[in-house]
Amino acid sequence: MNSLNFNIDFGYLEGLVRGFKSGIVKQADYLNLMQCETLDDLKLHLQSTDYGNFLSNEPSPLQVSIIDDKIREKLVIEFEHMRTQSVVPLSTFLDYITYGYMIDNIVLLITGTLHQHTISELIPKCHPLGSFEQMEALSIASTLLELYNAVLVDTPLAPYFIDCISEQDIDELNIEIIRNTLYRAYLEDFYKFCQTLGSTTADYMSEVLAFEADRRAITITINSFGTELTKDDRATLFPRCGKLFPEGHSALVRADDYEHVRAVAEFYSEYRILFEESGNNPTEKTLEDKFFEHEVMLMKKAFLEQFHFGIFYAYVKLKEQENRNIVWIAECVAQRHQTRIDGYIPIF
Amino acid sequence: MGSLYRSEEMASCQLFLQAEAAYACVSELGELGLVQFRDLNPDVNAFQRKFVNEVRRCEEMERKLRFLEKEIRKDEIPMLDTGDNPDAPAPREMIDLEATFEKLENEMKEVNANAEALKRNYLDLTELKHILRKTQTFFDEAMSDQGMTEESIVLLGEEAVKTSGQPLRLGFVAGVILRERIPPFERMLWRACRGNVFLRQTEILTPLEDPVTGDRVHKSVFIIFFQGDQLKSRVKKICEGFRATLYPCPETQAERREMSLGVTTRIEDLNTILSQTQDHRHRVLVAAAKDIKVWFIKVRKIKAVYHTLNMLNLDVTQKCLISECWCPIRDLEKIQMALRRGTERSGGSVPSILNRMETKEQPPTYNCTNKFTKVFQDIVDSYGVAGYREVNPAPFTIVSFPFLFSLMFGDAGHGTLMLLAAIAMVVFEKRILRQKSDNEIWNMFFDGRYIILLMGAFSLYAGLMYNDIFSKSINIFGSVWHPTSGEFSAEIIKTHKDLTLDPTNDTDYRGVPYPFGMDPAWQLSLNKIKWLNSFKMKISIIFGVGQMFFGVVLSLQNHRFFKDSISIFCEFLPQVIFLTCIFGYLIVLILHKWIAIDATDAGCAPSLLIGLINMFLLNYPEEPCSSRVPPGQKGLQSFLLILIILCVPWLLVLKPYILKRRYQATQQKSSSRLGTSTEDGKSAEDAIDGAIQDDSHGQYEEELNLLEIVVHQCIHTIEYCLGCISHTASYLRLWALSLAHAELSEVLWNMVFRVALKVDGYLGVISIYILFTPWACLTIAILLLMEALSAFLHTLRLHWIEFQSKFYKGDGYLFDPFSFDKIIESRADEV
Repeated sequence: MNSLNFNIDFGYLEGLVRGFKSGIVKQADYLNLMQCETLDDLKLHLQSTDYGNFLSNEPSPLQVSIIDDKIREKLVIEFEHMRTQSVVPLSTFLDYITYGYMIDNIVLLITGTLHQHTISELIPKCHPLGSFEQMEALSIASTLLELYNAVLVDTPLAPYFIDCISEQDIDELNIEIIRNTLYRAYLEDFYKFCQTLGSTTADYMSEVLAFEADRRAITITINSFGTELTKDDRATLFPRCGKLFPEGHSALVRADDYEHVRAVAEFYSEYRILFEESGNNPTEKTLEDKFFEHEVMLMKKAFLEQFHFGIFYAYVKLKEQENRNIVWIAECVAQRHQTRIDGYIPIF
Repeated sequence: MGSLYRSEEMASCQLFLQAEAAYACVSELGELGLVQFRDLNPDVNAFQRKFVNEVRRCEEMERKLRFLEKEIRKDEIPMLDTGDNPDAPAPREMIDLEATFEKLENEMKEVNANAEALKRNYLDLTELKHILRKTQTFFDEAMSDQGMTEESIVLLGEEAVKTSGQPLRLGFVAGVILRERIPPFERMLWRACRGNVFLRQTEILTPLEDPVTGDRVHKSVFIIFFQGDQLKSRVKKICEGFRATLYPCPETQAERREMSLGVTTRIEDLNTILSQTQDHRHRVLVAAAKDIKVWFIKVRKIKAVYHTLNMLNLDVTQKCLISECWCPIRDLEKIQMALRRGTERSGGSVPSILNRMETKEQPPTYNCTNKFTKVFQDIVDSYGVAGYREVNPAPFTIVSFPFLFSLMFGDAGHGTLMLLAAIAMVVFEKRILRQKSDNEIWNMFFDGRYIILLMGAFSLYAGLMYNDIFSKSINIFGSVWHPTSGEFSAEIIKTHKDLTLDPTNDTDYRGVPYPFGMDPAWQLSLNKIKWLNSFKMKISIIFGVGQMFFGVVLSLQNHRFFKDSISIFCEFLPQVIFLTCIFGYLIVLILHKWIAIDATDAGCAPSLLIGLINMFLLNYPEEPCSSRVPPGQKGLQSFLLILIILCVPWLLVLKPYILKRRYQATQQKSSSRLGTSTEDGKSAEDAIDGAIQDDSHGQYEEELNLLEIVVHQCIHTIEYCLGCISHTASYLRLWALSLAHAELSEVLWNMVFRVALKVDGYLGVISIYILFTPWACLTIAILLLMEALSAFLHTLRLHWIEFQSKFYKGDGYLFDPFSFDKIIESRADEV
C-alpha cells in the first residue's frame, strides 16, 4: 500500500470521501443556523447545505430527535456505500471503525435490560453502524460468561471480551468496567492493526489512537474519583497505546483528585494546554469540549495527506462532531436557550 | 441582419409593484418569461425573507403531493397528463388547495393505517395457518417413526426420567422466522441452551407480504421442543431477540384441526374486508391521480412566485415592492401589458410602474431562437456566451457547420441515409415530443435533428461532388476519358495490368472537364488517391483560409460597433494584411496552378509548399523550369515578405503606445488644470486636495492597466501570428478525415460485400443475401455513427478554435428569465 498503487484499489473511495468532506457544514453555515428561531428555519437552512432535502419528507412540527436520526442516517448510508465498495485491507479498517459503535451498543443493551426495558425499546437507540445480528438476543444473558458463550462468541468482539469474563452477575459498575475493558482491548487491537498497514496510515492512526487512548485514560481517572473502583482496577482499564503509557499511567493510578490529574498532564505539552484552557465556569469550555476540539484539529490533519486510510476514520469522526453540533444548535433553538447556542465546535 | 446577428438590446428596469398587486403581476411575468429579476437582498438569509412562510407552506404542500404521488405509483394508477397549464392560483386559493391536500393526506394515512392493521392481522393468520399445517407433518413423522422418537426422548431426558420418575413431558413452541435468520438462530439456541433443545424447521414456499413495507419476504416455520420452564423462558427470549413470532399451537391433533378450520374462515373474512379497503384506497387514489399533475404545476407556480417576491425590496412606506430586472427592450410593451393585466386581476387601483434606468453593469446576452436555430446557438454557447451585443457566430455556423462537416463526410449514400433519418425526426417531431423519452442518447440526437438534417443534405451534395456513393461512382454525364479502341484492344487490356491514358492526347481525353464533380473514371484508376489527396488538400486550404478571413472581417464588425477605432487600425488592419500576404497569396498560387498549368507542361508545375518556404527564405534556386516563373514574382514575394514582417511590430507595439500617449495627454491636461487652479488662489486648497487624491488614485489604476495592456497585446500578437499558421494546417483535417472516410467505406465494400458479388450462380444470390446484413450493419455502426461523430467533433473544433478565435470574446452571461415553463420543465426532469 504505497503511494504508487494506492489508487488502484482505494483511489475511488479516497476521492469520494474527500468529496463528502467538502460537504461538511462550514462555519458560515453555523452562523446562519444560530440565527434560526424555529426548527423549521433550521430545516430551511440545512437545505442549502449538503444535506439537501433530507428533511423535506418530514411532516411539519419537527423534533430534534428526527433531525438527529436523519443526520445519522445520512452518515450511515455514506459509510455503508464505502464499506461495500472497499476491499481488504480498507474493508477491515472500516470494520474496525464500526467495532467502537458495537461496544457502545452492547453496553447500551445490557444497561437497558438491567433497567427492565424491553429490547424493542432499546434497538432504535442503538447506533446503526454498530448493529450486528445477535444484538437483539443480548437480553438472555444474565452473567458475563453466558453473554460471551451465547451471544458474543460469533461477533468480531469476542477476542476483546476474554479479559472480562467472570461468573459475576451484571450490575452498574460492572458495565462500566466491561465497556472500558472492551474499549481498551479494541483500541489496542486497532492500534496493532494500523501498525501492520504501515506507511502514512500507521503514522497518522497511531497519533489519533494515542490521543483517543489518553483521553480515555484521563476521563476514566477523573470519573473514578469517589466510586468503588480501586486504583489497581483503574490501572487495568487504561488503553496501553497512548503517549501516557507507561509513566503517565502509573502517575494517573496514584491520582486522588482533579489537581493530581492536572499535574500529570503538565508533563505532556498537548494535554497541558487543554487543561489550562478548560474550566468549570459557565463561560469557559469544559475539558470534554477541549478534548473534542483537539480531536477535530487532529481529524482535519488527516486531509492534508494523501494515500492513507486515516481520512475514512477522520471523516466519520468529523461527521459525528457535526451531528453533535447540529443537534446542540437544534436543542438550543427548540428550547429557546439562545445564550449557550454557540457552544458547538466549529469544524471548517 | 436579423436578431441572431447580435443579441437583443436589454434594459435595466426598475419595477414598482403595489403590495397587493405584486403577486398577480409577478405571476403574469412568470407566464410571459421575459424578465430576469435581480436579487436585491443577497445578504439576507433564506429564512429571514419576507415571504418565507408562504414558501414553507408551498413546500409542505409539495411534500403532501409527493406522498400522494408515491401512493399512486405504488398502486400503478396512470397519472393523467392533460398538458393543461393552469395559471398560478391567487393567494387565497392556496388555502383551499392546502385544505384539499390535507384532507387527502389524512384520508390516505387513515386508509393506510387500516390496511396495515388488516394486513398484519392477515399475516398473523396466514402464518398460523402454515404453522398448523407444517407442524402437523412434524407430528405425523414422529408418530410414524415411533422408534426414533422414543430413542431421542430417552437420549434427551434420561436423567430426568430417572430422577423424577414421572413420564417425560416435552414442551414445545412453534413460530415463524425470516428464512435468512435461521442459521444464527439455530446456533444461538444451541449455545444458549447447551444443546438441550430440538429444532425442526421447514420453509413456507409462498412468500408473505410484509405489512409495513409491502415487500415480499420468505419465512420459515419452526418448532422447538424442550424440557422445563427455565428453558422455555430462555427459548422465548431468543425468539424475541430474533424477531420470530410465536403462535399458540394446541397439543392434540383434534384441537389443531379445529383451530385450523377456524383460522381458514377468519382468513376468508379478512380477505373480503381487505379487498374492500383496497377498493376504497383505489377510488381515492384514482380521483387524486386525475388532478395531481395540475396540482403540482399550481403549487410550483405559487412557490416560484414567492421565491421571486423574496428577491424584491420593500419600499419604506411598505406599500410597494421595488424590483430591479433585465428585460429585452423589444418586449417592453408586452411586459407593460402583463403588468396591467396583473394589476387588473388583483383589483388594484394604482398601476404598477416600469421604469428604465441607467446602469454600468454588463447586461445579459439574450438571443431569441426558434427550434431550428436553437441547436446552433447551443453549439456556440457551450463554448462561451457572447458578450452583450457582440457579433454572434451562430447564424454563420448554420451554414458553415454542415458545410465543413460534409467536406469530411462526403458520401452521397451515407448522406442520404442521414438525411432520411433527420427528415423522419423532423416530420414526426410533434409525436416524438409528446412521448417524452428519457433516453439521454436518443434525446441528444433528437435535439440535434435540424443540424443532422442540414449535415445530411450537405453531405449528399459533397458526396455527389466527390462522386462517391458507398465508395462507388456513378457515371451520369458520361466520362470524358475514353481510350481509343485501336490503342487499347481487348488483348492488350487483358495482358497488361497497368495502362495509362494520356491527357494530352485528344483521343483519350475529350479536352473539357466532367461537367459536375469528379470524373467517374478516377474511381477505376490507380492514382485515384494521389489525385484526390492533392485536390482535397487544396480545397481544405481554400475553405479554411476563407473562413478565417471571414472571422477577421467579423472582428471589424465588432470594432466598428463598439466604436473602437484604435483596434481597427492597430489590430484589424495588420491582421488582414498578415493573413492575405501569406495565405491569400497561397490561394492565388493554387488557383494559378489549377488554371494556368495543364497536362502539356505538367512537368514544370511549381511545388506550392516548396515555393512558400522559399519565399520566406528568399531563396530562388535555378531549376530547369525557372524560365516559366512569371517575371515579377520574385519582387512581389519580397514585397509581401516585408509587409508580413512589418505587421508583427505593428500589431505588437502600436496599440499600447497610442494608449500610453492618450493617457499622458489626459494627465497633462489634469496637471495643467491643477496649475491654473493653484494660481487662482483662494479656494485652491480644497481643489488641490481633491485633485491629488483623484489623480493618485487614477494614476495607480492606469499604470496597472498599462502593464496589463502590454502583456495582453503580446499574447494576442503571438497567438494571432502563430495561430494563422497552425490553424491553416489544422484545416487540413478536412482532407484527412475525408480520406479516412472514403478509404474506410471502400475497404468495407471490398472486404465484405464484394466477396458476395464474386460468387456466381444461385450461390451468389444466397451469399449476397447473407453478406448484405453485416455490410449494412457495419456501414451504419462505423461509417454513419462513429465516423459522423468524429467528423462532427472535428467540425466543432474548427468552429470553436479556428473560426471563433479570430473575433469572438464570449465573455457574456446568459439571460435567465423568470419563467414558469422553465421551472416546471426542470422539475419534470428531476422526477
